[in-house]
Amino acid sequence: MSMEEQDLLRSAVKEFAQKSIQDKALKIEHEGVDKALLQSLASQGFLGARIPEKYGGSGIDLHGYLTIVNELATFSPSVAALVMLVNSVHAPLIGDSEPEVMKKLASGEATVSTSLSDVLEGNFSATSLKKNGSNLKGAVNLSSLYRGEYAIALNRDDGHLYLFKDGVKGVEEDSGLSFRGLSNGSLEIDSSDYTVLSEKGEDALKAVVDNLDLEVAALALGTAKGALDKAIDYVKVRKTFERPLKDYGPVASALSRHMAEYLALSSYLESVDENDSRAKLTLKVLSVDLAKRATKAALQYHGGYGYIEDTGVEKFYRDAMGLSILFQRPHHDSMRLSKEIFGEKSGYL
Amino acid sequence: MDFDFPEDIVNARKKAQEFARKEINSEMAKKYDRLEKFPEELRKKAFEYGIIDYQNPWSMLVTIEELCRADAGLGISATVSLFGAEVIMLFGSDEQKQKYLSMVQNGDKIMGLAVTEPGGGSDVAGITTRAVEKDGKYIVNGAKMFITNGTIADFFVMLIRTEEVEGKRHHGLSAFIVDSDLPGFTKNKLSGKLGVRATNTAELILDNVPVPKENLIGEPGKGFYYIMTFFNISRAYVAAQAIGIAQGALDRILEHLNRLTKEGKTALAEEVQFLASDIATRIEASRLLAYKAASYLFQFRPNPTLTSMAKAYASETATFAAEKALEITGYSGITGDLERFFRDSKIMEIWEGTSEIEKLIIARNLLKEYAEVNQ
Ligand SMILES: Cc1cc2nc3c(=O)[nH]c(=O)nc-3n(C[C@H](O)[C@H](O)[C@H](O)COP(=O)(O)OP(=O)(O)OC[C@H]3O[C@@H](n4cnc5c(N)ncnc54)[C@H](O)[C@@H]3O)c2cc1C
Repeated sequence: MSMEEQDLLRSAVKEFAQKSIQDKALKIEHEGVDKALLQSLASQGFLGARIPEKYGGSGIDLHGYLTIVNELATFSPSVAALVMLVNSVHAPLIGDSEPEVMKKLASGEATVSTSLSDVLEGNFSATSLKKNGSNLKGAVNLSSLYRGEYAIALNRDDGHLYLFKDGVKGVEEDSGLSFRGLSNGSLEIDSSDYTVLSEKGEDALKAVVDNLDLEVAALALGTAKGALDKAIDYVKVRKTFERPLKDYGPVASALSRHMAEYLALSSYLESVDENDSRAKLTLKVLSVDLAKRATKAALQYHGGYGYIEDTGVEKFYRDAMGLSILFQRPHHDSMRLSKEIFGEKSGYL
Repeated sequence: MDFDFPEDIVNARKKAQEFARKEINSEMAKKYDRLEKFPEELRKKAFEYGIIDYQNPWSMLVTIEELCRADAGLGISATVSLFGAEVIMLFGSDEQKQKYLSMVQNGDKIMGLAVTEPGGGSDVAGITTRAVEKDGKYIVNGAKMFITNGTIADFFVMLIRTEEVEGKRHHGLSAFIVDSDLPGFTKNKLSGKLGVRATNTAELILDNVPVPKENLIGEPGKGFYYIMTFFNISRAYVAAQAIGIAQGALDRILEHLNRLTKEGKTALAEEVQFLASDIATRIEASRLLAYKAASYLFQFRPNPTLTSMAKAYASETATFAAEKALEITGYSGITGDLERFFRDSKIMEIWEGTSEIEKLIIARNLLKEYAEVNQ
């Protein structure tokens, strides 16, 4: 996709988000993404951006897809994360093995509950599913989209990664730190209709998570931008000591520097070569770091209002922190980066 | 120079730890956080247990630290029911002390301090809530914002403008005791806070509220000075809250690492060791600053520069510790206490003087001192 096309797409996503997400952002945090929003994301071609057209997806190229994730995140990191999960986790894991499921994903008819905790926790211990004849039964911890019609889960006992097509029951839990709009909960599985997506389930999940570099970068940058936009608007009108906040040096310079970093990383993202592993990793590491710092500053410059959810800035702060834990393996990424720089395994002690 | 606390304060800390162990646990903290519910039972128990004693500020300081180490939302709720009392203690009349302080000191009643307004909190002199004298009363109109204990307090120490003094914004402000059951006084609970969700926070609306004349604290027009004096005291307690949060985060990191090492799941990466030692060092530095500031304060020779340094540094330590704790513990942190610590810690850099305002105070005082010595 050319730069001009990316710009056009960005405008379309922005217009959509202003109409369909902006006023509902707090409701999404409380209640999750509802079916109506899911389906309008689908009808715009955003939900199934990377899903092949034969399954009803829009088959958009990588840069177009990153633009969608990035722009959605400036309004709701949860909605952007959902699009990322569908296109970069669910679709690649399911692949061609379940065409009907893929079609339902692309159209927003169904969602898939997923738990990445096993790979991110690094100790592969969470899920234990017991086999009884052809039936599999057990509980899955911390799963996003717990109300999903389907579930993908790793079974500790046989190491396989399963797609469950029936017998998936979501259990609501505390909304958690971040991505509350993704509806995090746990799952009770009692299923006899399932498919093995991979016999080496842990490796399959790890490969998917490690392949999220650019998506996570786009999500992180959108999160930073969403918070910075709000703060920049706010400090123009909020006065202390009879002057607008933007007139104070530390306020203006902190927000401008963060925005400048955002702009630099964004243009890097727009043109990054998808085969350049070092550039992809660099973008992720720097963007997540920026998201944490920028959202913190944005919250701080809102003063007491920043601490209250109605203002709509604290969610970016929570999500930026959650991003680095829920969709990234920071220690592993540090080692990957060191290897890129040193050319050999380094930094593991 | 002796860095050890005397025995009675060591014992006060132990008693607070004992109380926290018995009465505060993760499940409970999680529940009150989720429900945004004020833990009235816990507050009462803390009084009964004998750990809330505002006559003994050192013991209060370490108690706040220890309860926030267990959980900030619950710890602050249990210790904040006398918020603003020092204004009455220092500047109130004997009748006011008798009538109002006696009932909060034994835990029967709750009070609050209302300074911040929708239009601003940092710029205290910019407040617009007004009182006009009429028929032997002060008639108050205006609004206060983000007031802790807002819907549960029986009365507030409130800063109100009683006079416009051309060119001198901090003049013409007066402090009052305002009973919360007066006609025209509305309280709206604020929900959806990022953290410290067990604490009660509200917006107060005052529509022609008649405040008896005898509820004016000290002299009219001196309110700004009284409130600034109060902040110099309360900021030491906020530093204690922040130290408690940071220490609680460190406790949980050590517990996590210890468990992983025992289970043979991880070799302790140097990066993690460095982070843990950075956090511990910052906590120790925060303690030294806070205890030094408190020592001046409790000997009635406050040092506002030190107090602001302690408040700002300890607050930044709390957010640093909570953030790094989540990074180190990852998934298990995000599903346990630490995600709450992360959310709770951020308030430290905002209330009772944001970090930016503390830094302005520090710099202003340093320059003033320099000018005095070198004039
Ligand atoms: C949960 C909670 C409980 C609270 N409890 C109470 C209470 O019990 N009583 C009470 O009176 N108040 C209370 N507050 C209010 C709190 O003290 C204020 O929010 C705080 O003082 C900041 O004021 P503000 O929110 O109006 O921010 P503002 O004053 O509008 O400041 C906004 C931002 O600008 C920065 N800023 C302001 N001026 C400058 C400058 N010159 N240079 C650089 N930066 C600057 C500030 O640091 C801040 O980051 C509470 C707040 C919260 C969130």
